[in-house]
Amino acid sequence: MYPYEAMFLVDPNLYAEDSEAVETTVKSLLEKHGAKIVQFERWDERKLAFEIKGHKRGVYLLAHVEMPGDGVDAMRRETRIIEVILRNLVIRLEDDIPVYLEKSAKYAEIMKEDHEARRARREEAAGMDGGGYGGGGGYGGGSHDAPSAVQDTPGS
Amino acid sequence: MKTKDKRKKKNFKKLGERRCRFTRLGVEFVDWKDVPTLQRLCTGQGKLLGRKRSGSNAAFQRKVSQAVKRARYMGLMPYIGS
Repeated sequence: MYPYEAMFLVDPNLYAEDSEAVETTVKSLLEKHGAKIVQFERWDERKLAFEIKGHKRGVYLLAHVEMPGDGVDAMRRETRIIEVILRNLVIRLEDDIPVYLEKSAKYAEIMKEDHEARRARREEAAGMDGGGYGGGGGYGGGSHDAPSAVQDTPGS
Repeated sequence: MKTKDKRKKKNFKKLGERRCRFTRLGVEFVDWKDVPTLQRLCTGQGKLLGRKRSGSNAAFQRKVSQAVKRARYMGLMPYIGS
């Protein structure tokens, strides 16, 4: 038994029709291959970065499971037959699931703080000198960290 | 002989701020599900920023690369941006 993170992209239309049935399908698929579901999470419907099997939007289901390695291949093979699942990704985790969940919660917190600090700094800079190009001029006059992030839909 | 060398001196950031953002924040890994952070490390076209641009150290640049590829596969990030 190894810890895995499994994500499934499911058809949003079918999910809207009967969310429970879709979730049960995914859960039973996991359990059929010997997985013990530790955590099961649903992300809100969001826009996909590109079309996948003719869909522009999708619902993500994220499961943290413990399962035997043999089960993963068999499960992934089976996902191709199931129509609701548009795409799936299974990742073997380095840590046990409780440790991983703790770490990722911490990660999310740190990143959120960083984003807020960054936004505050940007607003301050914009307010201070009307968006000047920095005294020195040339590349790297100011903080050239990254292009301003595109706003993302919530739910990640 | 004077050479026509008029290249500007590169503007390096001060040593203190040049460090890798992930090291600075003290995280241990890069989450492939955290799209806003990954987007910062990509261009508008969806290409990964180079190390000089993103400032990541080698270990984290590899992790970022892996994370972006996973996010792309799941349709969270574009292969080709707008």
